[in-house]
Amino acid sequence: MSIRLQLLIVALTTLILPWAGCQHARELEDALRVAQENALESTADTIALALSAQSARVFRAAEDPRPYVEEQGDLYVFALRSPPLLDGYREDWGVAADPKRLPSPDGYGARLQVGSTDRYLFLYLEVADPHFAPEPANPDLEKDRFDRVDITLEQPDGSLESYFFATGAPGLIEAQRTVIQGGGTTRIASEPRIQAYWLESAGGYHLEARVPLALVGSRLWVEARAASGRKAGFAVDSAEGGRLFMATSGLGELLGTFIRAGTRVTVVDTNGLKLGTAGTPGVGGTPGAAGELGTAGELGAAGELGAAGLDDAGGTWYRRFVTVDTSSWPMQTTLPDRMAGKSVFAALAGRPAAEWLRTSGGAEDLMLLAAAPIAVDGRTRGAVVLEQSGDQLLDLRDRALAHLFNLTLLATALAVLFAFSLATFISVRIGRLRSAADSAVGNDGRIRLEMPESRSADEIGALARAFERLLARLDEHARYLRTLGGKLSHELRTPLTIVRSSLDNLESEGARGDQRGYLTRAREGTLRLQSILSALGAASRVEESIQQAERVSFDLAELSRAAVAGYRDAFPGARFVLEAPADGCLLRGAPELIAQMLDKLVENAVDFTPPGGTITVRLERTGSNYELSVENDGPSIPDAMLGRLFESLFEHRPGSDDKPHFGLGLYIARLIAEFHDGRALAANRSGGGGASFTVILPLI
Amino acid sequence: MGYDSAVKKSIAIVEDEPALRENYAAALARHGYQVKAYANRKLAMQAFGTRLPDLAIIDISLEDEAEGGFDLCRDLRAMSAELPIIFLTARDSELDAVSGLRLGADDFLTKDVSLPHLAARVAALFRRIDALRLPQNAADIVRRGALVMDAGKMQTTWNGKPVTLSLTEFWIAHALALNPGHVKNRQQLMDAANVVLDDSTITSHIKRLRRKFLEVDPAFDAVQTVYGMGYRWVE
Repeated sequence: MSIRLQLLIVALTTLILPWAGCQHARELEDALRVAQENALESTADTIALALSAQSARVFRAAEDPRPYVEEQGDLYVFALRSPPLLDGYREDWGVAADPKRLPSPDGYGARLQVGSTDRYLFLYLEVADPHFAPEPANPDLEKDRFDRVDITLEQPDGSLESYFFATGAPGLIEAQRTVIQGGGTTRIASEPRIQAYWLESAGGYHLEARVPLALVGSRLWVEARAASGRKAGFAVDSAEGGRLFMATSGLGELLGTFIRAGTRVTVVDTNGLKLGTAGTPGVGGTPGAAGELGTAGELGAAGELGAAGLDDAGGTWYRRFVTVDTSSWPMQTTLPDRMAGKSVFAALAGRPAAEWLRTSGGAEDLMLLAAAPIAVDGRTRGAVVLEQSGDQLLDLRDRALAHLFNLTLLATALAVLFAFSLATFISVRIGRLRSAADSAVGNDGRIRLEMPESRSADEIGALARAFERLLARLDEHARYLRTLGGKLSHELRTPLTIVRSSLDNLESEGARGDQRGYLTRAREGTLRLQSILSALGAASRVEESIQQAERVSFDLAELSRAAVAGYRDAFPGARFVLEAPADGCLLRGAPELIAQMLDKLVENAVDFTPPGGTITVRLERTGSNYELSVENDGPSIPDAMLGRLFESLFEHRPGSDDKPHFGLGLYIARLIAEFHDGRALAANRSGGGGASFTVILPLI
Repeated sequence: MGYDSAVKKSIAIVEDEPALRENYAAALARHGYQVKAYANRKLAMQAFGTRLPDLAIIDISLEDEAEGGFDLCRDLRAMSAELPIIFLTARDSELDAVSGLRLGADDFLTKDVSLPHLAARVAALFRRIDALRLPQNAADIVRRGALVMDAGKMQTTWNGKPVTLSLTEFWIAHALALNPGHVKNRQQLMDAANVVLDDSTITSHIKRLRRKFLEVDPAFDAVQTVYGMGYRWVE
């Protein structure tokens, strides 16, 4: 693994920072959530306290301890912001909830919704009855069959009064009732205070009616009857049913003064029915939830301002790493008329409570709900329910996270960049050092003493300096080896001369017959010693003669021809083949050196050629060079040796003979080639079997 | 070598290696010379101040003087222009040989030379001196075109102009000129010159030889190299 990769991996460990940040953000979110719960709960508590002090504005004086039971005909009365037009449509009611279906023994379809303003009670009835049966003139309620809607009011004084709505033609109508005349007879009379609009619709009719609150006590029954006798609704048959549970008018405005933007406050009675509400819950508040009761202005709009700038879509991708698992949290139940849920029930039982609810399937759509009981005279009359979106919390968290992520990612990017450049820097320097070390010892055996980076103060510099010291010692050693031959041949010459001159003297003094043999052998020994010394000093002598050589123009082809003729005499054991151009190959150089070079190449080839083998001396003209090569039969050279054969003191001979070899012959050949600006190469013959040594000499 | 003992020639050997000094002295004494041996320049100069020898054999490095032999040669030459001087040294570089010969030495031998060869060179030098006083012996004279070599006097002329060759050079040129057109290999040339030389030294001798003729005649081209074999004289 390269240093670059290693440091890159090290740098990537800084990614642990964002991870740690996520953990921190998660804890932060938990803490914020608890804090928000506490804050909202205490706000709810405070509002509850304030409201209990003015309970008259919150609750109707008379409290019905019996619970609200829809099936008995109990009716929830929505608070209407403004009196709607009597036109048979309820779009102007401002109530999101649909009318409630009335029970029917025979499947007669009728839906009812009740609302009120300060002065009026409004009824809205949808009846699915395609066959309109108009009211006859002077109808007899007992005999005549026509479509009608009966309502029965419990008047403020507690007495019951029944009315019915019917018409011969759709339009604005008045309620009618049966008046008992003197003599026990009855007649039908209009009640102009109770007005309604009968509107024919596609599948039946709509009835929108208005009743002054002055006529209304606390109970109301509504029953729709068809000409066929089918009916739906509640008849006045139970002491239990028909109670009106009315939202408190003006409570919305009062509540609006308690809350800040982003919060919805709702006051419920002991049944959980909404008495009043104000505000919208936060940024992503469910649309349509607002304004279903009388709300005190669109306060939620202000809440959107705080978070608008933060909803950065690009910045939320990392939420997936930090989201708290909310899938097991309860869903919010939204009812038009009631508040439900654990904390609402807890508050109605007298305990303040808060809980987090999911508003939709999304993990991020959360709602905090806090409820506190409103106690009046020691009894719980209702509860304040505050709703707040979790968006604010998420925004806070996101802001912190975005900051954290950006910072840590920037830090990581910087660390990676820095590590990468550092690694590149280091590896480039090491690479430079390595290639310098690779080429420090040149093919000619010369040693380059200077290393790159040796001036750097760091470890790489120290390494380079260590290399330099090593190379200096290597160079010293190599230099010593190079000169050793010359020195040895020089230093040994005097003692050898002493031995030889002593032998000469001994011989001249006249040795005895049997001593002559020893003398001859001793003389032969000194002759061999002398040739060894001469070979040892050959390279330094050639270096010396190169320095004094003079360049002349001469014919390389003729020189080769003459030389090969000489080799045929000198080495009768080998067959010599000369391949040279017939025309002259003029070269400017030192012919005696070139001849000496050829001698060395041929001597080397002869050494490796089996008896009777062929040695080919080839001279070719290639482009701007002469190529003088000597090829021989015999063993191939191991590849590893090829590049080193021309080094000084390099010797590779599988066999051994009695001649001294110091690895100088080819070195001398190379010295001479280089003197002529050429170079020497060794290669195995392509066909296998044998080697070829080539000297390339540039034409000048 | 049959010189009269009554006219014994005196030879001074200046050599710092005692064993060699003794060996050389013994060999030359055996050849009938009166030999005086000195270990260093100072001793030698003291003796020379009293009486000059007939021939001096000098080593180049003398005890602590690396080039004491050169100094000695210069001093000797100053004292006598005719005194034959031979350098006999372990140093075989061309530079040393050139320096020695330029200082006026008559020959430059390496210590590879054998004692009989050394004696022959010494005899040849004496013969050259003697020949100056003796009548010309026609048999000793080789004439090849412009070349005249007198083996008795060790004198060479080209087109009548004298060419001053060292002894080695003389014998090499003599061997080549004796049989024009015949290739003499290195061994034959070494035998003729009574020296043991390696290839490159022979080459440099030939080079010097040519140069000396070229100084007299820029068109000189009589010594030819036959690569791989040797050299020959062409007329």
